[in-house]
Amino acid sequence: MSNQKTFSFVPDPTRRQVFAGAAALSAAAMFPIAAWADGSRLNVRTYLEPDDYDPLDASGFLEELLYGCIYRKLIQYVPGQEWDWQLDLAESMTQSSPTTITFTLKEGQMWSDGFGEITAEDVKFSMDRHMVEANNSRIKPDLGPFSHVEVTGRYAGIIHMDRPFAPIWTIALPYLAGTVICKAAVEAAGGKITTAVPPAVCGPYRVVEHRLGERWVLERNPDFSGAPAAFERVDLIVVVDESAAEIAKDAGDVDFTSIGAGSVQRLRDNPPIGAQMNVHPALFYHWVGLNIQNPKFEDIRVRQAIMYAIDVPSILQAAFFDVAEASTGIIAPGLIGHRPATLIPPQADFARARALLDAAGIDRLALNVDVLNNVTHTTTAQVMQAMMAQAGIDLNITVHESGSFWSLGVAADGDRWKDLELTIKRFSMTPDPYYATAWFVSDQIGDWNWEQFSNAEFDQLHDAALSEGDPARRDEMYRHMQDLMEQSGGYRFLTHGVTANLFADSIVPATRPDGQPLLQFFRRA
Amino acid sequence: MLQYAFQRVLLALAIIFVAISALYTIMITLPGDPTTILLGPRATPELRAAFRANMGLDDPVLVQIVNFWGRILGGDMGTDYNRNRPVAEAVFNALPHTMALVFCAIFWSAALGIMLGAFSADNRNSWLDRISGILSVGFIAAPSFVVALYSLLLFGVILRWFPTIGAGESGDLGSRLFHLALPSFAIGLAWVGYIARIVRAAMLETLGENYIRTARAFGLPRRMVIYQYALRVAILPAVQVLGVGIGGMLSSAVFAEIVFSRPGIGSLIYESVSGRNYPVVMGAMLVAIGFFVTCALIADLVNAALDPRQRVT
Repeated sequence: MSNQKTFSFVPDPTRRQVFAGAAALSAAAMFPIAAWADGSRLNVRTYLEPDDYDPLDASGFLEELLYGCIYRKLIQYVPGQEWDWQLDLAESMTQSSPTTITFTLKEGQMWSDGFGEITAEDVKFSMDRHMVEANNSRIKPDLGPFSHVEVTGRYAGIIHMDRPFAPIWTIALPYLAGTVICKAAVEAAGGKITTAVPPAVCGPYRVVEHRLGERWVLERNPDFSGAPAAFERVDLIVVVDESAAEIAKDAGDVDFTSIGAGSVQRLRDNPPIGAQMNVHPALFYHWVGLNIQNPKFEDIRVRQAIMYAIDVPSILQAAFFDVAEASTGIIAPGLIGHRPATLIPPQADFARARALLDAAGIDRLALNVDVLNNVTHTTTAQVMQAMMAQAGIDLNITVHESGSFWSLGVAADGDRWKDLELTIKRFSMTPDPYYATAWFVSDQIGDWNWEQFSNAEFDQLHDAALSEGDPARRDEMYRHMQDLMEQSGGYRFLTHGVTANLFADSIVPATRPDGQPLLQFFRRA
Repeated sequence: MLQYAFQRVLLALAIIFVAISALYTIMITLPGDPTTILLGPRATPELRAAFRANMGLDDPVLVQIVNFWGRILGGDMGTDYNRNRPVAEAVFNALPHTMALVFCAIFWSAALGIMLGAFSADNRNSWLDRISGILSVGFIAAPSFVVALYSLLLFGVILRWFPTIGAGESGDLGSRLFHLALPSFAIGLAWVGYIARIVRAAMLETLGENYIRTARAFGLPRRMVIYQYALRVAILPAVQVLGVGIGGMLSSAVFAEIVFSRPGIGSLIYESVSGRNYPVVMGAMLVAIGFFVTCALIADLVNAALDPRQRVT
């Protein structure tokens, strides 16, 4: 009876059906989805969506990733291990005087969609619009004292600056602000690019589709004036979570992704089949900041005690999985201004920390550290908590989500900035030291200078180094500025971190020295 | 019935109004300067000030809420500050993906859950019933994120049967469905258990009813009595639970959309909240809450249509 009822509901397959089913399942297992993938397609993961196609709204590397594929610049970064630039749209670029750069464009470089040839007028339009107040350019500061572009011929022009600006070669021209867009197309679109697909491109790829919240679909640009792009199609796929991105790479859905530092050692021990990993020192800088103006830290001996009580190697081991090196400041190796060593060694000296506290007349010190809710920084805080207790410092950890955290030190968002004690932060960076020191000048107090570090010599050096043409002198200035930061007792530098990339061995990636991908130079293996 | 429906619609609108207004108040009083986050570190103080003024963030909270509802009633959800495009475009691009995910999960979980529940009731107290019970409770107990991660690893990485990320190619229904498989499995599995348990209980109660006994006495085939007469009544509680359960599915969808890197209302809200992109948060929440309230309203009305006692308020 029971069996009869069961069979009334459960199918009763014949032996032939069972064999057919088993064969179908086996066949399905033998035909992984990745096998259908076309080798001429490149899937690259991004962790967020770039904002839009207009450089006025660009704010960081996400936009650069997209712009590198669809737009061009006078000069571009060279992929490899050394920071350098190469000519792109320009046939020649000459620093004709401390405040002028003369350029000549290559002839016959075309815009897509029938917008004709790229001319010096396009370069002028692209750069000058950042200086127009009403345009609200987010990256205007990257151009420093840039004044305007003077067009001297169809293909020639002069870039004028109000005063010498060394970072023009390292940030302004080869990065976001140097992106050249089509004057005719943008003017026809009303002066700003807000369309779902850009009206005209000149890079090796063009945008075919933007699937909001999911991916950008790019295809080879048939109007590109250089050698045809390596891939017929490039998908920029938004995968927020690093672990999910690693899984997607394993599943063959992504060809190139950055991965977390936590995966590096595991992948070194067990190299993935059909994939490779490269690890680059990053440009970011992580540090523990101390609000110098907080009454608790009035005595410099207290500040120094805290610095000596933070053991950087332990933090690197626990929070950075022992794959990142200790930093010597805010400027990474390979850049002008990198210091060979810190003034206080990275290893903690608890006896010295205790002695400094005793000298300051403090028995036990209770402090608060504010951290972002990411694993790296919360682990850093926990290691600090354990280590600092040995010197008689009780550390309370307050974790914030990103929106709340990044407003902690901002005066416009309440009075919390005045009461800050310790914070753990990571700032992004471009390949010029000025980008790092810019956040720590006195003017930045109540904005990004959460340590409220104010030093007249530092401010003066920051201004002077911008215009300094001698790299050796500039190097010395930035080193000294970091000495001043450290001497204030407001900064314990941790690391620059690493950029680890996992990629299919069917592609040859091209990256900047800090490991950020330059998709326009990717090719098939 | 008309009066009842009118009252429920009014109540639904009131819920939407109160929920959104409260949410708006909470959101703008949260710490976190949106201009700092939205404009990036290189933005000048002047630009940030202009942006604040443009967003209306300098106005009192009440004024902002009134302005927000004024814009909504005028059919304008505002501008997505990240993309410089209308919020409606972002929201209505995302909504179909979430709806597809939720309805796909409901569809397969209801189909399987009802079958499992009916099967259990039909075989009550047998070892098959016990296995079905263990499976159902196991499905309910398994957190969706665990199911998502393991299904991702098993079916995506090891077997490579299904894609792990994205929503599929535009205009290709097969690809879209293919990409729905794992996420809908992850958020629907627990519902299989819920529905199976509900259907089993309802079925056992129904099988004891007089009309079922009469049908049996008339000599109707067993399968017809169980699956045509009893099941038709026994699935009603499950349908009502599903109507309200869409809210729970929406919450799970947030997680599934992030794990499987799918576009949708959930991932849009997550991204916008983190980025303090207020207009998008509000637009997406308005649609999500509206969707939930509408589903609950439909469940109420269906319930009232089937059971007149519900109309007495």
